Amino acid sequence: MHRSASGHSKPLATEQELAEFLKSTEKRAFKRTAYAVRDEDAALDIVQDAMIRLAEKYADRPAAELPLIFGRILSNATMDWFRRQKVRQAVVRNFSELDAGGEDGDMDLLEALEAADPGSSAPEPDDSLSRGQTLALIENEVAALPARQREAFLLRYWEELDTAETAMVMGCTEGSVKTHCSRAVHALAKALAAKGLKP
Amino acid sequence: MMGTRQHYKAELDALQARFGLRVASRLSQASEELPHDLTERLRVAREQAVARARGLRELSPVPVAVAAGPGSLALAPPPSWWLRLASALPLLLLVAGLLLIQQLHLREDIHAAAEVDAALLADDLPPEAYGDPGFVAFLKQPER
Repeated sequence: MHRSASGHSKPLATEQELAEFLKSTEKRAFKRTAYAVRDEDAALDIVQDAMIRLAEKYADRPAAELPLIFGRILSNATMDWFRRQKVRQAVVRNFSELDAGGEDGDMDLLEALEAADPGSSAPEPDDSLSRGQTLALIENEVAALPARQREAFLLRYWEELDTAETAMVMGCTEGSVKTHCSRAVHALAKALAAKGLKP
Repeated sequence: MMGTRQHYKAELDALQARFGLRVASRLSQASEELPHDLTERLRVAREQAVARARGLRELSPVPVAVAAGPGSLALAPPPSWWLRLASALPLLLLVAGLLLIQQLHLREDIHAAAEVDAALLADDLPPEAYGDPGFVAFLKQPER
């Protein structure tokens, strides 16, 4: 799917490319923001604000750069919202939530991931849950992740950015991205396994 | 020992990636089932952003693509100083013409005033006579 940031030698984004990019990303952007702020109206406002910022300041950049730029703008707009809500302390606390890692933890993770793998012999998920209920449970668990873990996880696996691109959007090192992703996967695998769910 | 550890790490990375992509796939399914009003508001927001970008592009100068030969396109070079001067020439000619017309009118006015003055001064009647109320009344008489 991707795309890497580069200089301005690439052709500049046309109006159609800008529109197509926004259309392709708007629903994921909304969901990502809604997981963070837990308020649909606020998430819509933030996404709209990010779209306008992209259009006003970066619409003349190469089309290949738009995903990274938009990701960064959306993250900043979300942070601005938290600042306005005067709950920055809560976010910072979430940011610093780092699980104690170690080989034992990795072994647990491996077991949980193997159990969650469709090819494994682990028991099937509860058939009584509808597809909608399953999706809602998975979304709830994603929303419950600490902010930085969730952001790293969604950028890496949903937006399909590589580690370097994710680090650029998040403004951190690649090592931090790997740590956040690993912990997010660990937490999700455990939480979903506890509910008898396979993603 | 090292080999086992590396093998374990590679397996863990692969499992993490597969798990992450499967969760992402489920999230994509969920995002495709957004309520209609939300998708409409997102569409309106997107269209507003695109319109804003279009407005800004129209305000700022952009390079114009012109045909540089059969089957090829090239960007037009920036206009030279001579071309800029040539495009300003009609305006300069217009201003010069207006100034010339103004000068001609001024000269004509001066010339006409001088003729009147000369006629008055050359006449037998002194110019002061026109300031005399009796003479003015005499001039207004229909029949003399």
